[in-house]
Amino acid sequence: MAELEAKDITKYFTHESHRLQALGGVNLKVESGDFVCLVGPSGCGKSTFLRIVAGLEQPDGGQILFDGRPVTETGPSRIMVFQEGALFPWLKVGDNVEFGLKVAGVPPEKRTEISERYLDMMQLTKFSDSYVHQLSTGMKQRVAIARALVMDPDVLLMDEPFAALDAQTRDLLLIETQLMWARTKKTILFVTHNVAEAAVLGTRVAVFSNRPSVIKREIENNFPRPRVSEDEDLLQFQHEILKELRPEVKKSRAEV
Amino acid sequence: MAKNYTVHKIAFYVGLVVIWQLVAMVDVWPSNIFPSPYEVGEDLVYSTADGSIFYGFATSMWRLGVGLSISIAGGIVLGIFMARVEVVNQTVGSLVLGLQSIPSIAWVPLGILWFGLADAGIIFVTAIGAIFAVTINVYTGVKNIPPSYIEAARNMGATGSKLIINVLIPAAFPYMISGFKQGWAFAWRGVIGAELLFSYMGLGHMLYVGRSLNDISQIAAVMLVIMATGLLIDAVVFKRLEFKVMSRWGLR
Repeated sequence: MAELEAKDITKYFTHESHRLQALGGVNLKVESGDFVCLVGPSGCGKSTFLRIVAGLEQPDGGQILFDGRPVTETGPSRIMVFQEGALFPWLKVGDNVEFGLKVAGVPPEKRTEISERYLDMMQLTKFSDSYVHQLSTGMKQRVAIARALVMDPDVLLMDEPFAALDAQTRDLLLIETQLMWARTKKTILFVTHNVAEAAVLGTRVAVFSNRPSVIKREIENNFPRPRVSEDEDLLQFQHEILKELRPEVKKSRAEV
Repeated sequence: MAKNYTVHKIAFYVGLVVIWQLVAMVDVWPSNIFPSPYEVGEDLVYSTADGSIFYGFATSMWRLGVGLSISIAGGIVLGIFMARVEVVNQTVGSLVLGLQSIPSIAWVPLGILWFGLADAGIIFVTAIGAIFAVTINVYTGVKNIPPSYIEAARNMGATGSKLIINVLIPAAFPYMISGFKQGWAFAWRGVIGAELLFSYMGLGHMLYVGRSLNDISQIAAVMLVIMATGLLIDAVVFKRLEFKVMSRWGLR
Protein backbone atom coordinates (compact mmCIF):
# COMPACT_ATOMS: atom_id res chain seq x y z
CA MET A 1 0.00 0.00 0.00
CA ALA A 2 1.25 3.42 -0.93
CA GLU A 3 1.89 5.81 1.94
CA LEU A 4 0.15 8.63 0.13
CA GLU A 5 -2.37 8.31 -2.62
CA ALA A 6 -4.24 10.96 -4.56
CA LYS A 7 -7.36 9.56 -6.19
CA ASP A 8 -8.95 11.45 -9.03
CA ILE A 9 -8.52 14.91 -7.50
CA THR A 10 -10.51 17.64 -9.22
CA LYS A 11 -10.63 21.34 -8.40
CA TYR A 12 -12.50 24.28 -9.92
CA PHE A 13 -11.77 27.97 -9.58
CA THR A 14 -14.19 30.79 -10.09
CA HIS A 15 -12.51 33.57 -11.94
CA GLU A 16 -14.52 36.68 -12.82
CA SER A 17 -17.76 34.75 -12.87
CA HIS A 18 -16.60 31.88 -15.07
CA ARG A 19 -15.71 28.51 -13.69
CA LEU A 20 -12.33 27.17 -14.56
CA GLN A 21 -11.26 23.61 -14.03
CA ALA A 22 -7.73 23.58 -12.63
CA LEU A 23 -7.36 19.91 -11.75
CA GLY A 24 -9.01 17.35 -13.99
CA GLY A 25 -8.59 14.17 -12.00
CA VAL A 26 -5.06 13.87 -10.64
CA ASN A 27 -3.90 10.41 -9.63
CA LEU A 28 -0.62 9.85 -7.83
CA LYS A 29 0.84 7.15 -5.63
CA VAL A 30 3.78 7.95 -3.39
CA GLU A 31 5.71 5.30 -1.47
CA SER A 32 7.42 6.02 1.83
CA GLY A 33 10.82 7.61 1.17
CA ASP A 34 9.96 8.74 -2.35
CA PHE A 35 11.17 12.10 -3.58
CA VAL A 36 8.60 13.14 -6.17
CA CYS A 37 8.98 16.36 -8.13
CA LEU A 38 5.85 17.87 -9.67
CA VAL A 39 6.47 19.99 -12.77
CA GLY A 40 3.99 21.60 -15.11
CA PRO A 41 3.16 24.77 -17.01
CA SER A 42 2.49 27.77 -14.77
CA GLY A 43 -1.10 27.97 -13.64
CA CYS A 44 -1.68 24.24 -14.12
CA GLY A 45 -2.65 23.79 -10.49
CA LYS A 46 0.36 21.85 -9.22
CA SER A 47 0.64 24.14 -6.18
CA THR A 48 -3.10 23.78 -5.60
CA PHE A 49 -2.64 20.02 -5.71
CA LEU A 50 0.07 20.28 -3.06
CA ARG A 51 -2.17 22.44 -0.89
CA ILE A 52 -4.92 19.84 -1.20
CA VAL A 53 -2.48 17.14 -0.08
CA ALA A 54 -1.58 19.39 2.87
CA GLY A 55 -5.28 19.72 3.73
CA LEU A 56 -5.12 23.50 3.37
CA GLU A 57 -7.66 23.34 0.55
CA GLN A 58 -10.47 20.92 -0.17
CA PRO A 59 -10.79 19.20 -3.55
CA ASP A 60 -14.10 19.39 -5.43
CA GLY A 61 -13.81 15.71 -6.17
CA GLY A 62 -11.64 12.72 -5.34
CA GLN A 63 -9.75 12.05 -2.14
CA ILE A 64 -6.34 11.96 -0.53
CA LEU A 65 -5.48 8.73 1.23
CA PHE A 66 -2.75 8.72 3.82
CA ASP A 67 -1.75 5.25 5.00
CA GLY A 68 -4.96 4.09 3.37
CA ARG A 69 -7.22 6.45 5.30
CA PRO A 70 -8.84 9.51 3.71
CA VAL A 71 -7.61 12.85 5.09
CA THR A 72 -9.41 16.17 4.80
CA GLU A 73 -7.92 18.24 7.63
CA THR A 74 -4.49 19.81 7.72
CA GLY A 75 -2.11 18.35 10.28
CA PRO A 76 1.50 17.69 11.27
CA SER A 77 1.77 14.42 9.31
CA ARG A 78 2.07 16.48 6.11
CA ILE A 79 4.06 19.66 6.64
CA MET A 80 4.32 22.36 4.02
CA VAL A 81 7.37 24.48 3.20
CA PHE A 82 5.98 27.63 1.60
CA GLN A 83 7.44 29.44 -1.39
CA GLU A 84 8.16 32.58 0.63
CA GLY A 85 9.00 30.61 3.75
CA ALA A 86 6.12 32.05 5.77
CA LEU A 87 8.43 32.50 8.76
CA PHE A 88 7.13 34.53 11.69
CA PRO A 89 8.92 37.89 11.86
CA TRP A 90 8.12 38.39 15.56
CA LEU A 91 10.09 35.29 16.57
CA LYS A 92 13.79 34.57 16.59
CA VAL A 93 15.05 31.86 14.24
CA GLY A 94 15.25 29.34 17.08
CA ASP A 95 11.70 30.11 18.21
CA ASN A 96 10.44 29.85 14.64
CA VAL A 97 11.94 26.38 14.41
CA GLU A 98 10.42 25.39 17.77
CA PHE A 99 6.99 26.79 16.91
CA GLY A 100 5.25 23.49 16.14
CA LEU A 101 6.67 21.84 19.25
CA LYS A 102 5.54 24.71 21.44
CA VAL A 103 2.02 24.49 20.02
CA ALA A 104 2.07 20.74 20.64
CA GLY A 105 2.93 21.39 24.30
CA VAL A 106 6.44 19.91 24.28
CA PRO A 107 8.38 21.13 27.37
CA PRO A 108 11.02 23.84 26.70
CA GLU A 109 14.16 21.72 27.34
CA LYS A 110 12.93 19.01 25.01
CA ARG A 111 12.04 21.65 22.39
CA THR A 112 15.52 23.11 22.46
CA GLU A 113 17.08 19.68 22.21
CA ILE A 114 15.07 18.77 19.11
CA SER A 115 15.37 22.14 17.40
CA GLU A 116 19.13 22.25 17.92
CA ARG A 117 19.48 19.03 15.99
CA TYR A 118 17.73 20.47 12.93
CA LEU A 119 19.30 23.91 13.24
CA ASP A 120 22.61 22.07 13.07
CA MET A 121 21.51 19.98 10.09
CA MET A 122 20.54 23.10 8.14
CA GLN A 123 23.69 24.96 9.33
CA LEU A 124 21.72 27.55 11.24
CA THR A 125 23.12 27.17 14.76
CA LYS A 126 24.88 30.54 14.60
CA PHE A 127 21.65 32.28 13.60
CA SER A 128 19.43 30.87 16.30
CA ASP A 129 19.09 34.26 18.03
CA SER A 130 18.64 36.31 14.85
CA TYR A 131 15.36 37.72 13.71
CA VAL A 132 13.96 36.68 10.35
CA HIS A 133 14.56 40.02 8.62
CA GLN A 134 18.27 39.72 9.31
CA LEU A 135 18.55 36.62 7.12
CA SER A 136 19.11 36.27 3.38
CA THR A 137 16.44 34.57 1.28
CA GLY A 138 18.47 31.36 1.17
CA MET A 139 18.85 31.36 4.94
CA LYS A 140 15.13 31.92 5.35
CA GLN A 141 14.38 28.82 3.28
CA ARG A 142 16.81 26.82 5.42
CA VAL A 143 14.88 27.95 8.49
CA ALA A 144 11.59 27.03 6.82
CA ILE A 145 12.91 23.53 6.11
CA ALA A 146 14.24 23.14 9.66
CA ARG A 147 10.90 24.33 11.06
CA ALA A 148 9.12 21.69 8.98
CA LEU A 149 11.54 18.87 9.91
CA VAL A 150 11.18 19.56 13.62
CA MET A 151 7.56 18.42 13.31
CA ASP A 152 8.90 15.04 12.19
CA PRO A 153 6.27 14.81 9.42
CA ASP A 154 5.78 11.66 7.40
CA VAL A 155 5.55 13.74 4.25
CA LEU A 156 7.30 17.00 3.50
CA LEU A 157 5.48 19.20 0.98
CA MET A 158 7.66 21.81 -0.69
CA ASP A 159 6.02 24.49 -2.83
CA GLU A 160 8.66 26.06 -5.10
CA PRO A 161 10.84 26.79 -2.09
CA PHE A 162 13.86 27.83 -4.15
CA ALA A 163 12.06 29.92 -6.77
CA ALA A 164 13.28 33.24 -5.38
CA LEU A 165 16.93 32.24 -4.91
CA ASP A 166 19.94 33.23 -6.97
CA ALA A 167 21.65 30.45 -8.92
CA GLN A 168 24.58 29.88 -6.52
CA THR A 169 22.41 29.72 -3.43
CA ARG A 170 20.00 27.42 -5.20
CA ASP A 171 22.81 25.00 -6.21
CA LEU A 172 23.93 24.89 -2.60
CA LEU A 173 20.43 24.23 -1.33
CA LEU A 174 19.86 21.53 -3.96
CA ILE A 175 22.80 19.62 -2.52
CA GLU A 176 21.72 20.23 1.07
CA THR A 177 18.19 19.11 0.28
CA GLN A 178 19.52 15.81 -1.08
CA LEU A 179 21.64 15.33 2.04
CA MET A 180 18.69 16.16 4.25
CA TRP A 181 16.54 13.66 2.38
CA ALA A 182 19.22 10.98 2.67
CA ARG A 183 19.57 11.58 6.42
CA THR A 184 15.93 11.92 7.38
CA LYS A 185 14.43 9.44 4.86
CA LYS A 186 11.38 11.68 4.54
CA THR A 187 8.83 11.30 1.79
CA ILE A 188 8.98 14.52 -0.21
CA LEU A 189 6.60 16.09 -2.70
CA PHE A 190 8.33 18.99 -4.38
CA VAL A 191 6.61 21.45 -6.72
CA THR A 192 8.84 23.33 -9.14
CA HIS A 193 8.68 24.93 -12.56
CA ASN A 194 12.43 24.45 -12.93
CA VAL A 195 13.21 21.31 -14.91
CA ALA A 196 16.87 21.20 -13.88
CA GLU A 197 15.84 21.36 -10.23
CA ALA A 198 13.39 18.49 -10.73
CA ALA A 199 16.06 16.43 -12.48
CA VAL A 200 18.55 16.96 -9.65
CA LEU A 201 16.15 16.27 -6.78
CA GLY A 202 13.54 13.73 -7.77
CA THR A 203 13.58 9.97 -7.66
CA ARG A 204 10.56 10.49 -9.85
CA VAL A 205 9.27 13.43 -11.82
CA ALA A 206 5.54 13.79 -12.44
CA VAL A 207 4.68 16.05 -15.37
CA PHE A 208 1.36 17.89 -15.15
CA SER A 209 -0.59 18.63 -18.33
CA ASN A 210 -2.19 21.95 -19.13
CA ARG A 211 -5.58 22.74 -17.50
CA PRO A 212 -7.64 20.82 -16.62
CA SER A 213 -4.52 19.11 -15.36
CA VAL A 214 -3.81 15.47 -15.00
CA ILE A 215 -0.45 13.83 -14.47
CA LYS A 216 0.63 13.21 -18.04
CA ARG A 217 3.64 11.07 -17.35
CA GLU A 218 5.82 9.95 -14.47
CA ILE A 219 9.51 9.51 -15.18
CA GLU A 220 11.81 7.53 -12.89
CA ASN A 221 15.23 9.02 -12.21
CA ASN A 222 17.82 6.58 -10.91
CA PHE A 223 20.99 8.60 -11.40
CA PRO A 224 23.43 8.26 -8.52
CA ARG A 225 23.54 10.95 -5.84
CA PRO A 226 24.60 13.49 -4.86
CA ARG A 227 23.62 15.08 -8.15
CA VAL A 228 24.47 18.60 -9.23
CA SER A 229 22.65 20.63 -11.84
CA GLU A 230 25.55 20.65 -14.32
CA ASP A 231 25.80 16.81 -14.51
CA GLU A 232 26.07 15.87 -18.18
CA ASP A 233 24.07 12.68 -17.64
CA LEU A 234 21.18 14.62 -16.18
CA LEU A 235 20.84 16.73 -19.31
CA GLN A 236 19.47 13.72 -21.15
CA PHE A 237 16.90 13.32 -18.41
CA GLN A 238 16.01 16.99 -18.51
CA HIS A 239 15.34 16.67 -22.24
CA GLU A 240 12.98 13.84 -21.54
CA ILE A 241 11.01 15.98 -19.09
CA LEU A 242 11.01 18.90 -21.47
CA LYS A 243 9.71 16.73 -24.28
CA GLU A 244 6.59 16.12 -22.20
CA LEU A 245 6.37 19.61 -20.81
CA ARG A 246 6.84 21.79 -23.90
CA PRO A 247 3.56 20.96 -25.67
CA GLU A 248 1.69 21.64 -22.43
CA VAL A 249 3.37 25.01 -21.95
CA LYS A 250 2.47 25.87 -25.55
CA LYS A 251 -1.15 24.97 -24.95
CA SER A 252 -1.26 27.08 -21.80
CA ARG A 253 0.24 30.05 -23.67
CA ALA A 254 -2.28 29.69 -26.49
CA GLU A 255 -5.13 30.04 -23.99
CA VAL A 256 -4.05 33.38 -22.58
CA MET B 1 21.01 58.70 12.14
CA ALA B 2 18.33 61.37 12.41
CA LYS B 3 19.39 64.88 13.27
CA ASN B 4 19.00 65.74 16.92
CA TYR B 5 16.60 68.62 17.46
CA THR B 6 16.81 68.83 21.26
CA VAL B 7 18.38 72.31 21.18
CA HIS B 8 15.70 73.59 18.81
CA LYS B 9 13.00 72.18 21.06
CA ILE B 10 14.37 73.82 24.19
CA ALA B 11 14.81 77.15 22.39
CA PHE B 12 11.24 76.94 21.04
CA TYR B 13 9.65 76.37 24.44
CA VAL B 14 11.81 78.96 26.20
CA GLY B 15 10.89 81.46 23.46
CA LEU B 16 7.22 80.59 23.84
CA VAL B 17 7.28 81.22 27.59
CA VAL B 18 9.19 84.50 27.12
CA ILE B 19 6.63 85.76 24.59
CA TRP B 20 3.81 84.66 26.88
CA GLN B 21 5.41 86.58 29.78
CA LEU B 22 5.89 89.67 27.59
CA VAL B 23 2.27 89.64 26.41
CA ALA B 24 1.13 89.29 30.02
CA MET B 25 3.40 92.19 31.07
CA VAL B 26 2.00 94.50 28.38
CA ASP B 27 -1.25 94.25 30.32
CA VAL B 28 -3.67 94.19 27.39
CA TRP B 29 -5.88 91.81 29.34
CA PRO B 30 -6.30 91.77 33.12
CA SER B 31 -4.43 88.93 34.85
CA ASN B 32 -7.67 87.20 35.88
CA ILE B 33 -8.30 86.58 32.17
CA PHE B 34 -4.76 86.10 30.91
CA PRO B 35 -2.39 84.75 33.55
CA SER B 36 1.35 85.17 33.23
CA PRO B 37 3.60 82.12 33.13
CA TYR B 38 4.92 83.21 36.48
CA GLU B 39 1.47 83.00 38.07
CA VAL B 40 0.81 79.63 36.48
CA GLY B 41 4.19 78.42 37.72
CA GLU B 42 3.36 79.68 41.17
CA ASP B 43 0.09 77.76 41.10
CA LEU B 44 1.91 74.61 40.02
CA VAL B 45 4.34 75.00 42.93
CA TYR B 46 1.52 75.49 45.45
CA SER B 47 -0.53 72.58 44.18
CA THR B 48 2.60 70.44 44.16
CA ALA B 49 3.44 71.50 47.70
CA ASP B 50 -0.03 70.69 49.06
CA GLY B 51 -0.15 67.53 46.93
CA SER B 52 -3.45 68.39 45.26
CA ILE B 53 -2.07 68.16 41.74
CA PHE B 54 -0.53 64.74 42.46
CA TYR B 55 -3.77 63.55 43.96
CA GLY B 56 -5.72 64.78 40.95
CA PHE B 57 -3.21 63.29 38.56
CA ALA B 58 -3.17 59.93 40.32
CA THR B 59 -6.96 59.78 40.41
CA SER B 60 -7.23 60.52 36.69
CA MET B 61 -4.46 58.07 35.81
CA TRP B 62 -6.02 55.32 37.87
CA ARG B 63 -9.36 55.74 36.09
CA LEU B 64 -7.60 55.90 32.76
CA GLY B 65 -5.62 52.75 33.53
CA VAL B 66 -8.70 50.73 34.39
CA GLY B 67 -10.74 52.14 31.50
CA LEU B 68 -8.02 51.66 28.92
CA SER B 69 -7.29 48.11 30.11
CA ILE B 70 -10.95 47.25 29.63
CA SER B 71 -11.02 48.78 26.17
CA ILE B 72 -7.77 47.07 25.11
CA ALA B 73 -8.93 43.66 26.31
CA GLY B 74 -12.39 44.11 24.83
CA GLY B 75 -11.04 45.63 21.62
CA ILE B 76 -8.69 42.70 21.02
CA VAL B 77 -11.48 40.16 21.50
CA LEU B 78 -13.97 42.10 19.36
CA GLY B 79 -11.44 42.93 16.65
CA ILE B 80 -10.26 39.32 16.29
CA PHE B 81 -13.82 38.03 16.11
CA MET B 82 -14.71 40.60 13.47
CA ALA B 83 -11.66 39.76 11.39
CA ARG B 84 -12.09 35.99 11.58
CA VAL B 85 -15.87 35.56 11.42
CA GLU B 86 -17.45 37.43 8.52
CA VAL B 87 -20.96 37.35 9.95
CA VAL B 88 -19.69 39.06 13.11
CA ASN B 89 -17.99 41.67 10.94
CA GLN B 90 -21.16 42.35 8.94
CA THR B 91 -23.31 42.67 12.05
CA VAL B 92 -21.28 43.77 15.08
CA GLY B 93 -18.69 45.43 12.83
CA SER B 94 -21.17 47.88 11.34
CA LEU B 95 -22.39 48.77 14.83
CA VAL B 96 -18.80 49.36 15.97
CA LEU B 97 -18.27 51.82 13.12
CA GLY B 98 -21.40 53.67 14.12
CA LEU B 99 -20.57 53.73 17.82
CA GLN B 100 -17.07 54.99 17.07
CA SER B 101 -18.54 58.23 15.77
CA ILE B 102 -20.07 59.05 19.19
CA PRO B 103 -17.71 61.34 21.15
CA SER B 104 -16.91 59.91 24.57
CA ILE B 105 -18.44 62.95 26.25
CA ALA B 106 -21.80 62.00 24.76
CA TRP B 107 -21.72 58.83 26.88
CA VAL B 108 -21.61 60.87 30.11
CA PRO B 109 -25.39 61.13 30.66
CA LEU B 110 -25.72 57.36 30.20
CA GLY B 111 -22.73 56.77 32.47
CA ILE B 112 -24.29 58.90 35.22
CA LEU B 113 -27.69 57.21 34.96
CA TRP B 114 -26.24 53.68 34.84
CA PHE B 115 -23.37 53.95 37.29
CA GLY B 116 -24.10 57.10 39.30
CA LEU B 117 -21.73 59.96 40.03
CA ALA B 118 -18.89 57.60 40.93
CA ASP B 119 -15.65 56.12 39.63
CA ALA B 120 -17.51 53.41 37.77
CA GLY B 121 -19.34 55.98 35.65
CA ILE B 122 -16.12 57.79 34.69
CA ILE B 123 -14.39 54.50 33.91
CA PHE B 124 -17.35 53.52 31.75
CA VAL B 125 -17.05 56.71 29.73
CA THR B 126 -13.28 56.27 29.40
CA ALA B 127 -13.49 52.65 28.30
CA ILE B 128 -16.32 53.10 25.84
CA GLY B 129 -14.64 56.13 24.31
CA ALA B 130 -11.55 54.09 23.50
CA ILE B 131 -12.74 50.55 22.82
CA PHE B 132 -13.96 51.08 19.26
CA ALA B 133 -10.73 52.67 18.07
CA VAL B 134 -8.81 49.71 19.51
CA THR B 135 -11.28 47.27 17.94
CA ILE B 136 -10.96 48.74 14.46
CA ASN B 137 -7.16 48.71 14.57
CA VAL B 138 -7.06 45.12 15.83
CA TYR B 139 -9.49 44.16 13.07
CA THR B 140 -7.33 45.81 10.41
CA GLY B 141 -4.21 44.20 11.84
CA VAL B 142 -5.64 40.69 11.81
CA LYS B 143 -7.10 41.20 8.31
CA ASN B 144 -3.65 42.20 7.06
CA ILE B 145 -1.84 39.10 8.31
CA PRO B 146 -0.37 37.29 5.29
CA PRO B 147 -2.55 34.18 4.76
CA SER B 148 0.56 31.99 4.61
CA TYR B 149 1.35 32.76 8.29
CA ILE B 150 -2.02 31.43 9.31
CA GLU B 151 -1.82 28.44 6.98
CA ALA B 152 1.66 27.52 8.18
CA ALA B 153 0.49 27.75 11.78
CA ARG B 154 -2.62 25.64 11.17
CA ASN B 155 -0.48 23.14 9.30
CA MET B 156 1.77 22.85 12.36
CA GLY B 157 -1.24 22.23 14.58
CA ALA B 158 -2.10 25.70 15.88
CA THR B 159 -5.88 26.10 15.96
CA GLY B 160 -8.39 27.95 18.14
CA SER B 161 -6.90 29.76 21.11
CA LYS B 162 -3.38 28.54 20.24
CA LEU B 163 -3.68 30.21 16.85
CA ILE B 164 -4.96 33.42 18.45
CA ILE B 165 -2.27 33.64 21.12
CA ASN B 166 0.71 32.39 19.11
CA VAL B 167 -0.03 33.88 15.70
CA LEU B 168 -2.95 36.28 15.33
CA ILE B 169 -2.04 38.61 18.21
CA PRO B 170 1.73 38.79 17.58
CA ALA B 171 1.26 39.04 13.81
CA ALA B 172 -1.23 41.89 14.17
CA PHE B 173 0.77 43.62 16.89
CA PRO B 174 2.26 46.45 14.79
CA TYR B 175 -1.30 47.54 13.94
CA MET B 176 -2.43 46.96 17.49
CA ILE B 177 0.12 49.46 18.78
CA SER B 178 -1.53 52.18 16.67
CA GLY B 179 -4.81 51.04 18.15
CA PHE B 180 -3.49 51.30 21.70
CA LYS B 181 -2.06 54.71 20.93
CA GLN B 182 -5.35 55.96 19.56
CA GLY B 183 -7.16 54.26 22.41
CA TRP B 184 -4.94 56.02 24.94
CA ALA B 185 -5.57 59.41 23.32
CA PHE B 186 -9.34 58.87 23.30
CA ALA B 187 -9.30 57.50 26.84
CA TRP B 188 -7.30 60.46 28.18
CA ARG B 189 -9.72 62.93 26.61
CA GLY B 190 -12.61 60.83 27.84
CA VAL B 191 -11.43 60.71 31.44
CA ILE B 192 -10.77 64.47 31.66
CA GLY B 193 -14.07 65.30 29.99
CA ALA B 194 -15.99 62.93 32.19
CA GLU B 195 -14.37 64.28 35.36
CA LEU B 196 -15.30 67.79 34.30
CA LEU B 197 -18.95 66.82 34.01
CA PHE B 198 -19.12 64.27 36.84
CA SER B 199 -17.38 66.80 39.07
CA TYR B 200 -15.86 64.08 41.18
CA MET B 201 -12.11 64.44 41.77
CA GLY B 202 -9.28 64.14 39.24
CA LEU B 203 -7.67 66.66 36.90
CA GLY B 204 -10.92 67.32 35.05
CA HIS B 205 -12.58 68.20 38.32
CA MET B 206 -9.72 70.59 39.14
CA LEU B 207 -10.48 72.40 35.87
CA TYR B 208 -14.08 72.69 36.95
CA VAL B 209 -13.09 74.05 40.36
CA GLY B 210 -10.74 76.52 38.69
CA ARG B 211 -13.60 77.83 36.61
CA SER B 212 -15.93 78.07 39.63
CA LEU B 213 -13.35 80.07 41.57
CA ASN B 214 -12.39 82.19 38.54
CA ASP B 215 -8.84 80.92 39.15
CA ILE B 216 -7.45 81.20 35.66
CA SER B 217 -3.92 80.21 36.65
CA GLN B 218 -5.15 76.94 38.15
CA ILE B 219 -6.97 76.18 34.92
CA ALA B 220 -3.85 76.87 32.89
CA ALA B 221 -1.69 74.85 35.29
CA VAL B 222 -3.96 71.79 35.08
CA MET B 223 -4.10 72.07 31.29
CA LEU B 224 -0.32 72.08 31.21
CA VAL B 225 -0.25 68.92 33.31
CA ILE B 226 -2.76 67.24 30.98
CA MET B 227 -0.66 68.11 27.95
CA ALA B 228 2.61 67.11 29.57
CA THR B 229 1.12 63.74 30.52
CA GLY B 230 0.19 63.17 26.87
CA LEU B 231 3.71 63.91 25.71
CA LEU B 232 5.25 61.82 28.47
CA ILE B 233 3.13 58.72 27.85
CA ASP B 234 3.79 58.94 24.13
CA ALA B 235 7.55 59.16 24.66
CA VAL B 236 7.88 56.64 27.48
CA VAL B 237 5.36 54.00 26.44
CA PHE B 238 4.45 54.18 22.77
CA LYS B 239 7.65 55.43 21.14
CA ARG B 240 9.60 52.69 22.95
CA LEU B 241 7.09 49.99 22.18
CA GLU B 242 7.01 50.98 18.52
CA PHE B 243 10.77 51.08 18.31
CA LYS B 244 11.09 47.65 19.87
CA VAL B 245 8.52 45.99 17.63
CA MET B 246 9.63 47.75 14.45
CA SER B 247 13.28 46.83 14.90
CA ARG B 248 12.38 43.23 15.73
CA TRP B 249 10.35 42.99 12.53
CA GLY B 250 12.98 44.83 10.53
CA LEU B 251 10.56 47.59 9.59
CA ARG B 252 13.02 50.38 10.30
